[in-house]
Amino acid sequence: MALLNRNGEVIEPSSISDGANPAGGLAITPLAQWTPERGEGLLLEPTDEPEAAHTRAPLIAINFPAFSDGRGLSLAVLLRTRYGFEGELRAVGDVHPDVIHYMKRCGFDTFQMPEGRKLPPAANDANGDGARGNGASTLAPYSDYYQASVIHPEPAYRRVRRGA
Amino acid sequence: MLVSPAIPDRKTRERKTACTHLSADRRPIQMYQYDTFDRQFVNERVSHYRAQTERYLAGELKEDEFLQLRLRNGLYVQRLAPMLRVAVPYGTLNSTQLRQLAFIARNFDRGYGHLSTRQNVQFNWPLLEEVPDILAALAEVDMHAIQTSGSCIRNVTTDQFAGVARDEWLDPRPFCEIIRQWSTSHPEFDWLPRKFKIAITGARQDRAAIAVHDIGLKVYQADGRTLFDVFVGGGLGRTPVIAEQIRSGLSVEHLLTYLEAIMRVYNRYGRRDNKYKARIKILVRAMTAEGFQARVDEEWAHLKDGPSTLTAEEIERMHTHFLPRDYPAQAPVDLDAQRLANPAFSRWVEQNVVPHRASGYAAVTLSTKLTGVPPGDVSDTQMAAVADWADDYGFGEIRISHEQNFVLPDVPEAKLLELWERALAAQLAAPNAGLISDIICCPGGDYCSLANAKSIPVAEAIQIALGDLDYQHDLGPIDLNISGCMNACGHHHVGHIGILGVDKKGSEFYQISLGGHAGHGELPASLGQIVGPSVARDEVVEIIEKILATYVALREEGETFLACFQRTGIEPFKERIYGTA
Repeated sequence: MALLNRNGEVIEPSSISDGANPAGGLAITPLAQWTPERGEGLLLEPTDEPEAAHTRAPLIAINFPAFSDGRGLSLAVLLRTRYGFEGELRAVGDVHPDVIHYMKRCGFDTFQMPEGRKLPPAANDANGDGARGNGASTLAPYSDYYQASVIHPEPAYRRVRRGA
Repeated sequence: MLVSPAIPDRKTRERKTACTHLSADRRPIQMYQYDTFDRQFVNERVSHYRAQTERYLAGELKEDEFLQLRLRNGLYVQRLAPMLRVAVPYGTLNSTQLRQLAFIARNFDRGYGHLSTRQNVQFNWPLLEEVPDILAALAEVDMHAIQTSGSCIRNVTTDQFAGVARDEWLDPRPFCEIIRQWSTSHPEFDWLPRKFKIAITGARQDRAAIAVHDIGLKVYQADGRTLFDVFVGGGLGRTPVIAEQIRSGLSVEHLLTYLEAIMRVYNRYGRRDNKYKARIKILVRAMTAEGFQARVDEEWAHLKDGPSTLTAEEIERMHTHFLPRDYPAQAPVDLDAQRLANPAFSRWVEQNVVPHRASGYAAVTLSTKLTGVPPGDVSDTQMAAVADWADDYGFGEIRISHEQNFVLPDVPEAKLLELWERALAAQLAAPNAGLISDIICCPGGDYCSLANAKSIPVAEAIQIALGDLDYQHDLGPIDLNISGCMNACGHHHVGHIGILGVDKKGSEFYQISLGGHAGHGELPASLGQIVGPSVARDEVVEIIEKILATYVALREEGETFLACFQRTGIEPFKERIYGTA
C-alpha cells in the first residue's frame, strides 16, 4: 500500500493502520479507543464528529469507505479550518488518484492508496508540460480554482484580477 | 420519431473547414463573457478529461472508476449509445455558441440535439473516444459539460425570460454565474450523496420552478438591498416534495457562505446507503425543516463573514455582464393590422410572443413541439437558423426554456412577421407555447436505460389526437408533462396533467395525475393527484380526451384548466373517466 505525499512521491509510512505498534511506527487508533494522552494517531470514520481535543493527535487519518464518498472531505475541512489541526492529515481507505486533487485542497497531506492502485504513468501528463510527470498532473490538474479552499483560503475573486 | 440521417463518416470529416463561423464578429452581448481565468480552467478541464479517457481506453481505469469521472464531464452511457449533456449555464447562449452546437450535432452526432428540461443541450450519439474532441470544440466557444451529471452541483437554472420579463424584480443571472463559478470543481462538494440542483427566480411569476429544486432561491430588492429567500428540499423523482423555506431576507454578500453551510450539512449527513433516499429532501424530512435549518444556522455561524463572503466588487463585476442594454427605438409597426391580415401569424403572436420590458420589443418562444418530432429535438440546421435569427432580430442571444423550447429574448415587434415566416419554414413556429401540445417529455424508453416505458410515442399520439389548434386554443393553458419512469425527468408531478410510465408485470403502463403545477403567479407549486388505475399505452389518449371533455363541461367563464381543477377537486374527473358515481 503506497503512501504518497502531496507531490505524488512515495514516502515511508511513519505509521501503520492496524493499531499495532512496530518499531518506529505510530499507532493509529479508532476514535472509540483513542485518548489524547497516549500520543497515538487518530483514525476517524466519516460518521465521527470532529472535536477540538482531536487536534492533540500527531496524525489524523480519515477513512474513505468509497472513493466517491465525499464526507471525509468535509471532515478534513472542519479539522483544518474550525479546530485548527496542524498535524499530518492522511487519507486512507478507498483513496483514488483522481480524487486526490480535491483532497489536497481540503487539507490532506498524505494519501494511502489501496493495494494494486497506482498513480497514472508520466506519459499521461495532462498539461503536456513534461515537468509534471509521475502522475503529478492527475494530482495537480488545474493551475487555479474559483473558490476558497483550505490551501487557498481566499476565492479567486479576492486574489485574481478578473475580467469585467 | 425523428428520422435520423446516417452517421457521417467520421474519418472523412474535416475539422479545419468546420469552424469558420468562429471567425465571425463577436458583438458585445448582455451575457457573461469569459476572461482568461475561465478559459484556462475550461481548457485544463478538457486536457484533464482527455487524459482520463485515454487511461480508461488503455485499461488503466476500471469501469466504475471512469464512470464517476465521465459523469462529472456530462457523459452518460445510455441504452443505445453514450449521451453527452452540454451545460448551457442558466439557459443562455450566444449565436456563435449555438452554431458550434450545430457543428457538433452535424459532425459528432446524427445531425440533431435535444433541449433538456434543465435548459441544457444533449447529444444522443457521440462516441466515447471522441468526447474529449467535443469538449475541446465547446471550449473554443467558452462552453463545457462540467458537472452536468453525477453526484455534484449541477447547472444552475433560471427564468428563460430573465432580464427582459416585465414582472421581474431583479435579474437573477449575475447570481447564477456567481454560483456557477463557486460550484465548479468545488473541493468539498463534488462528491455528494446524490445530484444537486439549484434554481433561482427574480420574477413575480416563478418560471424556474424553484419549489421543486434541492435549493430554490428567490432574489429581490428591499430598502436598496439585494436579498434572497432560501428554500430547500424540493424535488420530483420517486418522492416528490415541495421545498420548505429555511431563510428569508438573506443579504447578498452571504449567499455563498450560506450555501456552503447547507452543502456541508447535506454532504455530511445525507444518506449514502440507498440512492433513492440520498437526495437532500429526504434529509430535510428526516431532520424536519426546523431541525435542518437549525443545523445549517449552526454551521453558518462559523462561515458567515469568512473569506467566501462576496465582495462588493465581485457583485458589481457580475452585474456589469448583465447590464440592461440600450434598446434602440424601433419604427412603429401596426401589429394589429398584420395580425388581422394573417390569422396564423396572429395565433402565433398570441401564443408564443410575450411582452418585453422595452417598448417596441418582444420575447419569442420558438416551439420544438411539432407533432411527429420528439419534444426538444432540434436538427443542426434548425440550430444554425435560430443562431442567424438571433443575430438578425436581436443581439445575438438565445435562451433555452425548461419547457424545452428556444427563446429569442429581444425581437423588435416590427420584425415579428419576418421572423415568423422564417420560423415557419424551419418548422419552429408551432403556435403552441403553453398549450397542451407544448409537452414536456423525457427521452423515455426509446433512449434511456432507466425508463420503464416509452414517452415520446405517447407525446406524439396526444399531439396527433389533439391536432386541431382551434380546440387547443379553446382549452387554454395546460401543461402536459410525461416521464418514462419515476425518476421524473419529464416533471410529470408538476404537470396540470402528468403522465408517468410504469412497469406492470413486464408491460408498459401509464399512470395519470391531475392538478400539479410548478408555481404559477403567486401560487406555490403543488404536486398532481393520481386520477385512477394505470392504463395501457393505447388507452392514454382516450383518458386525456375524457379529462379535457370534463374540464370543458365543468369550467366557468374564463376559467383555466388548473383553476377549474382547483375549484372542483379530482372527484368529478374520476367520475367522468371511470364512470364511478
